[in-house]
Amino acid sequence: MFAALSPQFRSVDNVRSIVDAAAVLAVVTCGITFVLMMGSIDLSAAGVMGASALTVSLLVANNRNDNDFGFLGIVVAVLLGCAFGSLSGFALVLLKVPSFMATLGVSAIGLGVATLMFAGVQPNISDTMLESWAIERFLGFSYLAWIAAACILVGWLIQRYTRLGRYAFAIGGAEEVLTLSGVKVRPYKVAVFTFAGAFYGLGGVMVTSQLGAGLVQAGNGYDFSAITAAVVGGTLLTGGRGGVLHSAVGVLLVMVLTNGLVQVGVSPYWQGGVEGVIVVAAVAAAVIPQRRRNQVVK
Amino acid sequence: MSTSVAIKPPVEPAVGKERTRLTGFMPLIALAALIAALTIADPDFLTQRSLTAAARTAAPLIVLAAGATLVVLCGGIDLSIAALASLSTVFLALWIPDLGGLATPAVILVAAVIGVLQGAAHVLLRIPSFIVTLGGMSILSAVALVVSGAGTVRVVDDSTVKWLDLYVGGYVPMSVMVAVIVVALIAVLLKVTPLQSWVSATGYSESAARLAGTPVDLVKIGAFAVSGACAGLAAVMLVSRQFSGGPTMADNLLLPAVAAIVVGGTAITGGHGSVWRSLAGALVVTLLRVGLPIVGVPSAYEQILYGAIIVVAVALTLDKSKVSIIK
Repeated sequence: MFAALSPQFRSVDNVRSIVDAAAVLAVVTCGITFVLMMGSIDLSAAGVMGASALTVSLLVANNRNDNDFGFLGIVVAVLLGCAFGSLSGFALVLLKVPSFMATLGVSAIGLGVATLMFAGVQPNISDTMLESWAIERFLGFSYLAWIAAACILVGWLIQRYTRLGRYAFAIGGAEEVLTLSGVKVRPYKVAVFTFAGAFYGLGGVMVTSQLGAGLVQAGNGYDFSAITAAVVGGTLLTGGRGGVLHSAVGVLLVMVLTNGLVQVGVSPYWQGGVEGVIVVAAVAAAVIPQRRRNQVVK
Repeated sequence: MSTSVAIKPPVEPAVGKERTRLTGFMPLIALAALIAALTIADPDFLTQRSLTAAARTAAPLIVLAAGATLVVLCGGIDLSIAALASLSTVFLALWIPDLGGLATPAVILVAAVIGVLQGAAHVLLRIPSFIVTLGGMSILSAVALVVSGAGTVRVVDDSTVKWLDLYVGGYVPMSVMVAVIVVALIAVLLKVTPLQSWVSATGYSESAARLAGTPVDLVKIGAFAVSGACAGLAAVMLVSRQFSGGPTMADNLLLPAVAAIVVGGTAITGGHGSVWRSLAGALVVTLLRVGLPIVGVPSAYEQILYGAIIVVAVALTLDKSKVSIIK
């Protein structure tokens, strides 16, 4: 449809720019998909990405200090993401705080940590490897797009072939049954949140590579866009349905939609609004068939 | 939120009652302790001027939290309040030149209607409230950005909202008076009508309330309407203080408002709590915010504190007997 409306949309360059722009969102969505499959929700992406963006930009070569850890810095940032993820997970299983509240809190903590590290001076990175991720191309696509593709592959393998992925599905589908059959679900829940946190951490690193600087707002809007993409891809918010590949398709759909709207001449400010409508509509569409059965909705 | 809720009515044993009585005073105790601690740290704190300033900062937060408390009492959550307040500041700033004094009620009315729309979407489409309001938050922010052109809208002639900056009896800021009156109005309205029992019945056990003939759907939509109207009123207070409206002006009030509700001791699972508790909670949160720089802690810790407060307070107030599976 957009191809018909705008000649620019049809160009090869535009396809390339859509894929490149989708890279970060794809990684974040990959992580959030596992949480959604369990029937939980994760609003912590923005905070975790901010914290990991600042961490990585302060650890690789930059203008604020003499650190030059290179790849190690990236690993530390991803591990920090893991730590935040497991924090959400533990709040959920030990304190029994509902996941949207726990992750809202963790997001605030992440933003606070990022602000502390930011300390009023923006760290610009000068690490050649990290900078090259966003600029260098391999077979026409940027390295970031290839990293995203690798993440989707890893996510899919884990979802398909490991116990973690299978149980995430089962927890979303029928947690009572799983508990009654003697499976200890709590460690798996923490593991899923930790795993998702690693993806947000990587997402934060990728944003830093794109911007060339570590910003507190690195993850702004990604949490909601990722939920939109996952829901559009067919992952149910009630859990037990969907998957990484579904979400990857959803990411492309969302990116095509936002890119297309801009090409047709709609103000980019509407992007968030469009995503909001999509989420509500998609969830409503998924719930309507069983509307009569669920009388209690909180 | 939790998807599966045990249908048994909440049984409150004697021990539980003793505990609720104690937790009922917790926010007040925390408030007193905070004031005492701040006075020790800085003797100038307990002067009329700094207390008035703190109370004025608290006013919009009190109103926001009080409105959203109703939704939480019904067992839902409203995450769109801050975005709605931001949008309302833009509307107010744009409408004051044309509507003059009518702009204030108009904005509150529009905000209430937006609340009703979200409530209706939640009830009729059976979408969990946090999804509806999360989507709403995104939509409302987008509308605010587009309407304002992503910039601050100045209010040149602020005579129509200036009354909120006056002082009652020379000491109490008018905005604080209005906030307390709003809380009192909501509380009295709940008390003298069957609304109180309807709201808590809906929150404690929705299925039971439905079977007992409570108009659950209307109660929920009503709660969202009040929440929206309160966001509109909070926006009026913000505009009167800042002489302008902005598309992201109130966005950073979401976490403090949620924190105020849960610190006040209103259970996120619904039923248990009151608007007075949120008033106390809002004061605690405000004191923490103004208190951090006094004690010498950088304000970056503010966010971390809100996050920790929310998680811990929810964990403490949660009614664990009610929820079998936490998602």
